[in-house]
Amino acid sequence: MNRSRWTPALLAKALLPALLLLSASAAQAVPSFARQTGMACEACHTVWPELTHFGRMFKASGYVIDNLKQVKGVTPQREEILELAGLPPLSLMVQASYTSTAKAQPDSSGKGEAQNGTVAFPQQVSLFYAGKIAPHLGAFLQLTYGYDSGTIGIDNTDIRFADLKILPGDESLVYGLSLNNNPTVQDLWNTTPAFGFPYAATVAAPGIPYASQIDGTRGQDVAGLTAYAFWNESLYGEVGVYRSAKQGTGTGPLDSTTPGGVIAGSAPYWRVAYEQNWGRNSLEAGMYGATFKVYPDAGSGYGQPLTGPTDRYQDVAEDVQYEFIGDLHIFTIEATHIHENQSLDASFAINLAANTSNSLNTSRAYATYYYKRKIGGTAGVFSTTGSVDATLAPNSPDTKGWIAELNYLPWLNTKFSLQYTNYSKYSGLSNNYDGNGRNASDNNTLYLLAWLSY
Amino acid sequence: MRSASMTAVALALSLALGAARADDADALAHATAVRLAVGVCGTCHGPHGVSQLPKYPRLAGQNAAYLTAQLKAFRGQTRGDPDAISYMWGMAGNLEDGTIDALAQYYSSQTAAGGRGGGDAALIARGKEIYDKGVEQVGVPACAACHGPDAHGMADFPRLAGQHQQYILKQLNSFQSNMRKVAVMHGVAQGLKTEEMTAVAAYLESQP
Repeated sequence: MNRSRWTPALLAKALLPALLLLSASAAQAVPSFARQTGMACEACHTVWPELTHFGRMFKASGYVIDNLKQVKGVTPQREEILELAGLPPLSLMVQASYTSTAKAQPDSSGKGEAQNGTVAFPQQVSLFYAGKIAPHLGAFLQLTYGYDSGTIGIDNTDIRFADLKILPGDESLVYGLSLNNNPTVQDLWNTTPAFGFPYAATVAAPGIPYASQIDGTRGQDVAGLTAYAFWNESLYGEVGVYRSAKQGTGTGPLDSTTPGGVIAGSAPYWRVAYEQNWGRNSLEAGMYGATFKVYPDAGSGYGQPLTGPTDRYQDVAEDVQYEFIGDLHIFTIEATHIHENQSLDASFAINLAANTSNSLNTSRAYATYYYKRKIGGTAGVFSTTGSVDATLAPNSPDTKGWIAELNYLPWLNTKFSLQYTNYSKYSGLSNNYDGNGRNASDNNTLYLLAWLSY
Repeated sequence: MRSASMTAVALALSLALGAARADDADALAHATAVRLAVGVCGTCHGPHGVSQLPKYPRLAGQNAAYLTAQLKAFRGQTRGDPDAISYMWGMAGNLEDGTIDALAQYYSSQTAAGGRGGGDAALIARGKEIYDKGVEQVGVPACAACHGPDAHGMADFPRLAGQHQQYILKQLNSFQSNMRKVAVMHGVAQGLKTEEMTAVAAYLESQP
């Protein structure tokens, strides 16, 4: 999924903050899990990438449930020292897309307009290693070529250790560790940012220009180690820390030339959730959050040493998910609200922010229906609101609208989507938000996507 | 005499050791089965085999011989109803015989869920009539003849009492279409109309 990032200095310097798109990933569906377990996609997904209860347990269990013949190694003392799947759990994902905005975007050099109707072929190609590595150890590792970057880079990664403790009364306690590179990529519900709707988005149209730190901003930008426990398949808790681990910045330590804001020390992350399953229904409610202390990002030429004062972003979010999974009909609702408190003393001191504190609120709610896992769609609303800051968000970061998507899956691993995004407000205004006469509705986007996973 | 008694002692000892090894193997298979049941199977089939979701059958109190036969049929890909193909062919694909036996023992020794209260009384009464007496005019025999008057089944004949109505209905449809190939049940299901299947399934779900 592509979200813009709120990196104060870059925003301050940029005339078109909306074009500062983070090269993040699309959400995934991974046929290698199906090959490994021998089960069809529907065991773990309603329609991918949205997870069912079993899919959540498969993930929590470390991606290791395995029904393949194994290559084994055993010592004379019968100690098992190797258990390896006969074939590696590899998958490929290909996306091709067409994007059109209501009005052509400005030419990036200021000479009139850009061409409208962008074909991305491929938009993205990803290679996955997704499955068991060894007993109790599994990985979801994605390498992605993106047409926007023109390069291959590391994408969402989640390497897990997990084990099961059987409690009295045969209750289960699944616990483990996740080493990952995107806060919430390890989460089990599709309400949280990394695997939330929209599961795929264009990079050829303006996206939502302001996002909190936990909301995709730090994707593939950090390394996190979290510990979690899932009791009786219902009560989930997780704590961990994230530290900057930037890609493509050379071999040396991070320093004043590093773009994108470096986290001071480690950012604590937490998650609690409760899930209740009854009949064909599953209901989850939870909270998650993280606190990032970040060195002000002055950008190239304005570099500040990575010492001294920091800005502080405190993210606290609530989420709720409901799933009805029938044989013919599937209906799901996913919603989240993220509140971010920003203490920007460090940025303020060097004129990268006009206020010493701001807030940013992000809300999303989506409903999805599918018939026979073949035809369906999602509709919902999104809203970002926050403080007016003469430097960072002169008209306020407020961006609101709705999104609707129709999907057709001739086979469970092939998806064809038609997505429409409508903006009623963009960067604080409905009309002339950029000072050059561009209206929020000019960014309304039609997006056609072919998405193949095999 | 002395050597004979030594031989006897040695024999007894080796038998005991053999038994101990067998016990160890059984204990290991049991531990593996409990781990699988709690950590994997239970996610769909519920804690102790009492599933909530009607898509997944209840396994608690099911007959061990039936469970063993089904797991082997999944493993051998000879049971072909849609959910068997999508879920269980993979799940059971790599199970060893000892684990299958231990899983069957685990679930057969769990307390069955008991009948579900409520429901359409007239439908349940109609279901009971079909279950007890069959449908004579089309040659459908009484279900009770094989599955027992209390629907607890025996050996290869599964327990049906307390099973999800929707699951039973799906199986009857699969027998009828021969996706799940069981000659006897194909014959039985062919004679039943949808409303009769629904009634029998409703009755069975209500039974303890």
